[in-house]
Amino acid sequence: MSSKRPQPYFSRSQVTLVRGLWMVVTAILAFMTLFPLLWMVSIAFKPAAESFSSNLIPQAPTLDNFIYVLTGVPFIRYMVNSFLVSATVTIVALFFHTMAGYALARLRFPGREILFLSIFSTFLVSLPVIIVPLFVIVKAMGMLNSYVGLIIPAIFNAFGIFLLRQYYLSLPKEIEEAARIDGAGYWRIYWSVILPLSRPIMSALAILFFLANWNSFLWPLTITSDPNLWVVQLGIANFKSQYSASWNYMMAASTIVAIPTLILFVIFQRQIMDSLKTSGLK
Amino acid sequence: MTDKEKAFPKLTRRGLLKGGAAVAGGVVGLGGFPHINRLAVRAQETPLKFWQFYAPGGPVASQVAWFEKTVADWNDSHPQKIELEFIPNSEYISGPKLATAFASGEGPDIFIISPGDFLRYYNGGVLKDLTPFIDEAAKADFPESVIANRMVDGKIFGIPMEVEPMAMYYSVKAFEEAGLNENDVPKTWDELLEVAKKLTTPERFGVMFETQPGYYQNFTWYPFLWQGGGEFQTPEGKSGFDSPATVQALKFWQDAINSGVAPRQIMGAGGHDTIANLASGYVAMQNVGIWGISQLQSNAKDFQYGVFRLPTPPNGKYVTVGGGWAFVANAKGRNSDAAGEFCAWALASMDQGSVDRVATWCTKGKSDMPPRNSALKAGGRAFSTGMIGKFAEEIHPGTRAEPRVPPEVYKIISDAIQQTQLGGADPQATATAASQQLDAFLSSYQGAPIL
Amino acid sequence: MTTIAETTARRRHAGRARLSAKHREWIAGYLFVLPDALGLLVFLGVPMALSLVLSVFEVNGFGGYSFVGGRNYLRMWNDPLFWKGARVTALYAIMLVPLLYVCGLGLALLVQRTDRFNAVMRSMFFAPHMVSLVVVALVWQFMVVDKIGVISRLTAALDMGGFSFLGDPNFALITIVLVSVWFLMGFYMLIFLGGLQDIPRQYYEAAMIDGAGPIARFWFITLPLLKPTSFFVVMVSMVAAVAGAQAFDIIYVMTKGGPANATSVLIVYIYQQAFGFGAFGYAAAMASILVVALMLVTGVFFALTRGGRFNHEQ
Repeated sequence: MSSKRPQPYFSRSQVTLVRGLWMVVTAILAFMTLFPLLWMVSIAFKPAAESFSSNLIPQAPTLDNFIYVLTGVPFIRYMVNSFLVSATVTIVALFFHTMAGYALARLRFPGREILFLSIFSTFLVSLPVIIVPLFVIVKAMGMLNSYVGLIIPAIFNAFGIFLLRQYYLSLPKEIEEAARIDGAGYWRIYWSVILPLSRPIMSALAILFFLANWNSFLWPLTITSDPNLWVVQLGIANFKSQYSASWNYMMAASTIVAIPTLILFVIFQRQIMDSLKTSGLK
Repeated sequence: MTDKEKAFPKLTRRGLLKGGAAVAGGVVGLGGFPHINRLAVRAQETPLKFWQFYAPGGPVASQVAWFEKTVADWNDSHPQKIELEFIPNSEYISGPKLATAFASGEGPDIFIISPGDFLRYYNGGVLKDLTPFIDEAAKADFPESVIANRMVDGKIFGIPMEVEPMAMYYSVKAFEEAGLNENDVPKTWDELLEVAKKLTTPERFGVMFETQPGYYQNFTWYPFLWQGGGEFQTPEGKSGFDSPATVQALKFWQDAINSGVAPRQIMGAGGHDTIANLASGYVAMQNVGIWGISQLQSNAKDFQYGVFRLPTPPNGKYVTVGGGWAFVANAKGRNSDAAGEFCAWALASMDQGSVDRVATWCTKGKSDMPPRNSALKAGGRAFSTGMIGKFAEEIHPGTRAEPRVPPEVYKIISDAIQQTQLGGADPQATATAASQQLDAFLSSYQGAPIL
Repeated sequence: MTTIAETTARRRHAGRARLSAKHREWIAGYLFVLPDALGLLVFLGVPMALSLVLSVFEVNGFGGYSFVGGRNYLRMWNDPLFWKGARVTALYAIMLVPLLYVCGLGLALLVQRTDRFNAVMRSMFFAPHMVSLVVVALVWQFMVVDKIGVISRLTAALDMGGFSFLGDPNFALITIVLVSVWFLMGFYMLIFLGGLQDIPRQYYEAAMIDGAGPIARFWFITLPLLKPTSFFVVMVSMVAAVAGAQAFDIIYVMTKGGPANATSVLIVYIYQQAFGFGAFGYAAAMASILVVALMLVTGVFFALTRGGRFNHEQ
């Protein structure tokens, strides 16, 4: 694509050189970023006695940790729970937040700015601060120790609304106009104009929402006591005992847990980039 | 866990609709906060909840098995059933789970606590008086040093399940490398720093004390305070913190850091983790409790180590601290009588089953000292051989119970330790300042006696 | 007469039609926002309000509540640890926000082009964010541990001396900031990538024809057109630094607020007061002040940028 760009400054060989250097720098930075995670993977392959040795390559690599995590504890079950919760929250949240973001950015109604600022202000509160009142509310609704209790409170989050609103603010005005001239209602405009245009940003948000819930710990810990409802992060925390921690199991479990999110990222990233190429806006 | 039908009951459409209706209903019901907990109507037949942190799939299977067997035995012989619930250990102490549950009236019926938490729960009025369920003979079976900090006004509010004294562990390999042997084991603070210096290499620290702030760090520091005759509280209830004994104890830990023989940061789960620190070779000597025996036994079988008593300061006398958890019943629970009865039945009955249960926990579940004289006898050889035997003969006889302090006192002492140990503050000035804070707090404190 | 009546009638009719179109837009707006607004109200708004109410109570954590008026706030005023926490929080945010901005934008520019190589690189930069924070914080703890941690060995080999990254009060906060940047930069990279892709390519092409170099293009096209994204990133990272769950997790796992309270940001202190000490009233008072402070700071940002709209006001 970029080869079509005019390049008034550099000759072809210079461009190749610059690009080569650029790639090398990027690769080095990427490797440095990844380095701590290599440690995680390395410990996952080490036997317990070697967990704390300072060699990156395991001396006696073993799969035992993975086997224990997958068979010794109901870890698959935790992953299914986490997946159910994360996927549901992501889908419902994307639906609600695009609606709210659309209205806050592109519809005019009295109190819109106040409403937006109120929504934004909920973003300033962190969970530990409100967990007791929230627990009481969720208990009053009879949602303790249940999937709905894990899912519903996790849906509402001002972050996504804020991001989508900023995104919709930057879309050109003409987009809706054509639809409006055709006599489309607000729902039609939202559904068949705004949503399709939101694909890249929704893909990005889907990754972020899914990850946030996939790795959530405090809320599931607080409202579930039935081990059948445990999510992955509770399962990982369980490898810590009173006076020590089985690092080899924790790291193996974390490695397993990171794989689905990596796959998800690759899929959605392609989606983001593909839709950018075809959206015709750019 | 195998019951697939039970697995996803809440995900049906009706469940979701119910949830939606509950959202609406909840908003209306909120008017009653914080007394909303009474809205929950529960059947009397539901089992009592017993919260603890020995989870299934946890690292030590015999501990889990002990809890399961205890509850199963009770359920076989009693109409009021009990159910175990697991909270990951990292979240049990100072985590939000218990605090949130109690604050909203959802606290467990039975749970376990450490001396560090005792006053918070006692002063909050949730600890059930267990004395009526314990007969005199059983009461006498608990040594004074073990039961005292679970008692208020002569009544027992918690039944200890274990006693965990602190000691020093050393790596035999590190000693050999430095040309030392078991006769070089340090007896005084100065000797400890000297030996530690010999053991320190570019790859290893000579000695280790806990560095992360927390109840555990205070717990491990108290013996050094006591050894010089120091107390944080005088018998009159004033602060005793501004004393030479405090200053020298603070300075001892500071010297260990400043002379480069002790690390500022600890590996693994914390100062109580022997696998990550001692066995990994990061440190040559570690200040840690009796649980280290079973920890090393199950995770580093081939590791050669020795234990010795905490060294003492000049003119000081030997003393160590003994921690350990206790069963308690929630006075505000649904059937607190049954819960109290359970605690006594499990750990404080003269019945042989109860005695054996305690002995089993301290020998098979953990490597601990038993809190009861009869259990010590029942354990027999298990308590007189090997490393445990060394603890029983040399280390444990000087054990003083872990102090019970309110959170405010804990925080003042913790900050004093942190500021001197890692912040480089002057020990005398720090002790004086902390003592003033302690006095200010103690003068307005109205709760059960601080011990 | 009739013509006048007709025109007024028509005008009234037209007026009503205009009005009802406007009203339709109002109603649509409210309905679109309703599900989220309701959920946020129930699960965040009401708990926030209750937390505010709690701040004038003394709470023992076991169902005991007694009204104490402003005593919790007075206690806060006199609590050196609160002020220490406020200072550490401000320092943390002042270091974290610009660093995240620069790293997030830098990475986004680095991997902006759409090709397979960059797709892989993007995944790598984002990878830290995919792993459980609690676990990677443990790994970092291991990597910077005194003497034998990989990074400690590196600094020792480079003759920078063997200092303690997490055990020395002078370095602990900086270490925490760097780990936070490492963990969060992929997240902001993703957001900046979205923003960069929104900039119409024609602008760059026109600038190049005018002879603008890469730096001029960045300065006069990319940065100005990134304003809405930048606004979002600054706001979100600031809130994340002050009240975010991730900052809390990193600190709680790596230092527990130590050494000597050097990393005890307010949210850690609040957590300790609430769950460690059961002082829910005091914790709620501190939390309320924290939220108000954040509202003031973000409010200024909103005011300066016309509600984050910049020149996009319709």
